[in-house]
Amino acid sequence: MTTQPIVQLQNISKTIGGKQLIQQLNIDLFPGQITGFLGPNGAGKTTTIRMMTGLMHPTEGNVIIDGLSLKENYEEAISKVGVIVENPEMYKFMTGYKNLLHFARMHKNVTKERIEEVVKQVGLEKRIHEKVSTYSLGMRQRLGLAQALLHRPKFLILDEPTNGLDPAGIREFRMYLRKIAAEDGVSVFVSSHLLSEIELMCDRVAVIQNGKLIDIRDINVETSSFYYIEATPNNQAAELLQKLDYNFVPENNGYVVEIKKEDIPKLISQFVHEGIQLFAVQPHQKTLEDQFLEMTGGGQIAESNSK
Amino acid sequence: MLNLIQNEWMKLWHKKGTWAMVALVILFIIGPGIMMKYYETKTTEDTTWQETEKQAINDYKEIIKSDDLTAEDKTFYEEKIAISEYRLANDVPSQEDGSVESFMSFTSKMLTLVTLFTVIVAASIVSSEFSTGTIKMLLTRPVSRAKVLTSKLLTTFIFGLFLFVVNVVVSALVGLILFGATTGVELEIVNGQVVEKAVWNDLAYHYLLSGGDFVMSILFAFLVGSVFRSSSLAIGLTMFLSFTGGMIVMFLSRYDIVKYIWLTHSDLTQFENGHFIVSGMTMPFSLTILAIYAVIFLVISYMSFMKRDVTA
Repeated sequence: MTTQPIVQLQNISKTIGGKQLIQQLNIDLFPGQITGFLGPNGAGKTTTIRMMTGLMHPTEGNVIIDGLSLKENYEEAISKVGVIVENPEMYKFMTGYKNLLHFARMHKNVTKERIEEVVKQVGLEKRIHEKVSTYSLGMRQRLGLAQALLHRPKFLILDEPTNGLDPAGIREFRMYLRKIAAEDGVSVFVSSHLLSEIELMCDRVAVIQNGKLIDIRDINVETSSFYYIEATPNNQAAELLQKLDYNFVPENNGYVVEIKKEDIPKLISQFVHEGIQLFAVQPHQKTLEDQFLEMTGGGQIAESNSK
Repeated sequence: MLNLIQNEWMKLWHKKGTWAMVALVILFIIGPGIMMKYYETKTTEDTTWQETEKQAINDYKEIIKSDDLTAEDKTFYEEKIAISEYRLANDVPSQEDGSVESFMSFTSKMLTLVTLFTVIVAASIVSSEFSTGTIKMLLTRPVSRAKVLTSKLLTTFIFGLFLFVVNVVVSALVGLILFGATTGVELEIVNGQVVEKAVWNDLAYHYLLSGGDFVMSILFAFLVGSVFRSSSLAIGLTMFLSFTGGMIVMFLSRYDIVKYIWLTHSDLTQFENGHFIVSGMTMPFSLTILAIYAVIFLVISYMSFMKRDVTA
């Protein structure tokens, strides 16, 4: 990665009441990249996000946003961040528009035209002048996104953003995030429980457990390639694979074999030669869910590690 | 900062309760006004004011003749007689019916309501953001927490002043409409001389002195509301102290420490009528104590608000 990170978590630790919730977290986030943030319940996702937004103060360490420390240069640093922390709680007794006006007044240089533009982007034009208390959860999510985008942030933090959106809404939302990441170089940090969502949306995932970062990796980059092969008779196929010295594990009615793509035709011809009937040869990818469960060991809620 | 106050002001007026407060303040002026007018017209008698004054002088003289009168009571009635004689000699009628002034000095008692409502706003303006979760939205903006809190405090005071102005203006209007301008002159004895009472000055002074309890109650409610994030606790505690404050001071009055509690001083109207709960008070001393407590309340409010981890 050659570009400068826009957000840096430097050795963040958080201790509350003798309990260490976050331990020495280091994460770099880059422009134009969407990073997913995963972890079982109680792993410290929300605490981390709150420290990145200035809602909580780290016991140790520093959050750097676009070169500015959140601790020392709070106002300037946070002006580059757009935030949706959990459900966007709005002032229900006011209209959506008044809510946006309220938040716009807290930023510099957000014009009325910009408000209109954002409202159009999130598709709320028709209902924006109605009270938020009449909105559905999905509409509130849209309004939440609108307030986070008002000031054209360079960095967007989203906690459970698709909660309450319908499938079309989720899809639209995903497309939109991809668009602003690609076109405006916005760095996006999304925490979600919907693993499939993260998989579709993100370029990278960071996994946290018991307050520690256990993995950060790019998605959709295959480290080694696997293929699923289904053939009868079963035992004969296994024998052949063994003879040819491939690593394989049985799955369903066939085997998952570690094999390079260019070796596939050779293997098939060998199967045919041996008279084994082939039913399926297909690329096999571990889903993020498999990977996640593998990494977090089933995802139990963390034991409290108080001392 | 102006933007922030504008925001708070907008949120305040979008709540129905705020409008109800204004309506109640107005209602508690118009209501008693109409009642006073109603009873007043019923009790009017057909005597001239000179006859009434003469009658009063005779009555007082009768009372003074009796033996079981303290020296204090005696001077009280002698002063009454002196005033009535002055009226007759100089042809200065007293104010028989209600007037704007008397009505306004009556409704100035209703400022308690203004204080109560402002306390409610002070108690909830911070805590409601926590209870609805909107605090997360508010504190992830490029505005320091100190500024957010200051805007809320200022908005509370502006709202309180607004209610005060409503009280004064509505009282004046209602008073003028129902009772009309003054027809008589209020007299009092200062250093043995009968002089005209400066009604308007006294009223202004009363308004000013009411400010003591107003400011301290608001700061206290604001403190509890922002530290404990519970508006009901803040309102309850503030009300409790304002009701039992006198009693608490009374209980503590035998100890010296009572002089250094803000409750002893916050009711500045003591200086108007001279009825002190604890003797030996002076205005500068009281104001100093109140100022010290005001600063303490503010410092605690700001410290807790700025340091707090927001988990709402």
